Amino acid sequence: MVPPPALVAVPMSRDNACRRVERFPLIAGMESQQVTTSMALATHFIRRELRNRYLGSLSGGLWALLQPLAQLAIYGFVWAYVFKMRLPGGDASPAAVVPFLALGVWPWNAFAESISRSATVIQENAGLIGKVALPRSVLVIATTSSSFLLHGVGFCAILTVLSLLGMPIALIKLPLALLAFAMLYVLALGFAFLFAAVQVFVRDLSQVLAQIMPLWMFVSPVLYSREFLPQAYRGWLDFNPFTFYPEFFRALLLGLGTVEPFVIFRTLMIAVAACALGYAVFQRLDSRFEDFL
Amino acid sequence: MNAVAGDNLLVEARDLGKSYPKVFRPRDRLRALGKLLLGRNDIDSVAVLRDVNLSVRRGESLGLIGENGAGKSTLLKLLTGVLTPTSGSVAVRGRVGALLELGAGFNPEYSGRENIAMSAALYGLNGDEMRNKLPEIIAFADIGRYIDEPVKHYSSGMVVRLGFAIVAALKPDLLITDEVLAVGDESFQKKCIRWMEEFLDAGGTLILVSHSMYHIQKLCRQALWLREGAVAAAGDVFEVTQAYLAYHERKLAGAVQPISLAAAQGLEFHLLGFAVNGIAQEMPVFVDAGSSLRLRVRVHSRDGRVPVIGIGIARADGTPLYGLTTEIDGVQPREDGEKAYVAEIEFQNLALLPGAYTLKAHAADTEGVRLFDTLERGAVVRGKTREFGLIRLQHLWRDVESLPVPIRSSASER
Repeated sequence: MVPPPALVAVPMSRDNACRRVERFPLIAGMESQQVTTSMALATHFIRRELRNRYLGSLSGGLWALLQPLAQLAIYGFVWAYVFKMRLPGGDASPAAVVPFLALGVWPWNAFAESISRSATVIQENAGLIGKVALPRSVLVIATTSSSFLLHGVGFCAILTVLSLLGMPIALIKLPLALLAFAMLYVLALGFAFLFAAVQVFVRDLSQVLAQIMPLWMFVSPVLYSREFLPQAYRGWLDFNPFTFYPEFFRALLLGLGTVEPFVIFRTLMIAVAACALGYAVFQRLDSRFEDFL
Repeated sequence: MNAVAGDNLLVEARDLGKSYPKVFRPRDRLRALGKLLLGRNDIDSVAVLRDVNLSVRRGESLGLIGENGAGKSTLLKLLTGVLTPTSGSVAVRGRVGALLELGAGFNPEYSGRENIAMSAALYGLNGDEMRNKLPEIIAFADIGRYIDEPVKHYSSGMVVRLGFAIVAALKPDLLITDEVLAVGDESFQKKCIRWMEEFLDAGGTLILVSHSMYHIQKLCRQALWLREGAVAAAGDVFEVTQAYLAYHERKLAGAVQPISLAAAQGLEFHLLGFAVNGIAQEMPVFVDAGSSLRLRVRVHSRDGRVPVIGIGIARADGTPLYGLTTEIDGVQPREDGEKAYVAEIEFQNLALLPGAYTLKAHAADTEGVRLFDTLERGAVVRGKTREFGLIRLQHLWRDVESLPVPIRSSASER
């Protein structure tokens, strides 16, 4: 049995207003058994989320596989045969469009889905938060993690399948791609923390996000690449924190274009900064959630 | 010495206060968000709990009583860490098992079994520990096949059974429960009470909210009475529950001060304090018949004018016995601080016979015409006399002889 943890400790601050010392601090001054608790909790929530979304639904685990495949098939058909897109500088066959799209669609799905699901997670768990003292950040982490786990597995699976079908995918570099996937996870976590906290106060946020996320996809090189844009607009893509990921995956796995090491470093810094900022906002608002839920 | 005391103090709250923000429109929420992000805490809010001090040591049992809306649940939520205090501090040590508002945060969509797993994860149990405890929990809850059905199909009694079973299996150092006993059926109530008694005998610590004075008196040795978010009385369970019950009797008799504290503070005159024999707490004061009764009243005068202070003594059912004012006796309260006046009256050789009485203090304007504020205290007069009625009247027997042997039985009245 776990020895009794110090559950609540609230020192008095100067202005007599009280701030909670995070009972399960995730970064600083963390005690090992609190980590264990938080980890156990996160694992529980992730498992529940995964089971809920797929095993609980009618078609079961099959849906997890079929849904992105269907999405890719539709995009591939529309882009290759309706819009007659051909890859610049590479293989000019219609089939080559499929791995190109897959490398944009999977990361985007993981990113967009984790953000929009996390945005409402605090609000949806109001009942739990109002009755049990739990580290609320775990809810956000679990939601984001389950989206990335699911789409990460799908990402690996589709690339393996496409490679087996004879597509020119450098499967040997997949571990490197997964490192970039982890960077994307860190970036997504930052947005997830930020939106989850703000949603408690501004209830319209989730509706606004539902409008913004598709727009965001179309200003990112998910279904196209930089070369498709007029020269004058290509530079604008660098202001989009998501741009790096499809470009990196395509350069790494398909050999389309190049990515400077400096850009990789900059992207890493952006992801870490976004995560830290999102978490800071979340922490600042955390103690007031229950007043506004 | 100090370390030992520190180890045994499981709960300590100092000047604990909680305010809820006043947010009605989306714009208020946005403004609150902005202020919080800037690190400002001056959000327009309503206080629901003020200056609560309490400490609970290992092995103690504390009952929380009070009317609906008095702040009991808010206090429990502060103690469990679900809510963050607005002012003051709270420290809780040890493993805490809490059942707040029945249900311990169950997800209605999931089965009982899945909710057990979630609660276990929330309490930091790993998979093995959880699996070991599962049969025990299911046996204690005793809800049959419902354990595999979604919690939304449960009756409220079943939810409580499951919640209590989980908390019981966790073997907490401190158990905090909110009205669990009110919902369960007779046999489950008995089971819970038996469990809690065993828990207390084994050195467990309990904080219990209940509207049943029977349960409070049965399980708790200490009690704390919350009224309008502040501590009205705290101490021995029997004294506090009696004070609380007496308050309700007076309230039913329509005699309890009709004005709330907040409203009274805006009045021209309001009472700052009413001490009976030096005790300012809202507890029934025990007085021996024939001893002296001192009532000290402090009044705040908004405009600095001298108030008239009135004193009344009534039976517990409201029948007035005696009343007078400073103006009737031709005296006036003495100034005691800025815009505050005080007067003390002493009833020597108290003529009240043993029983329960209500003492009243009134604040009236300088002319003694308009009554502004009233405070009441319960008083219990103790004595062993067998006289009848309410008041001993001055008397003398004539043409009598003393009895040869006093036939006093050992009357033991409270």
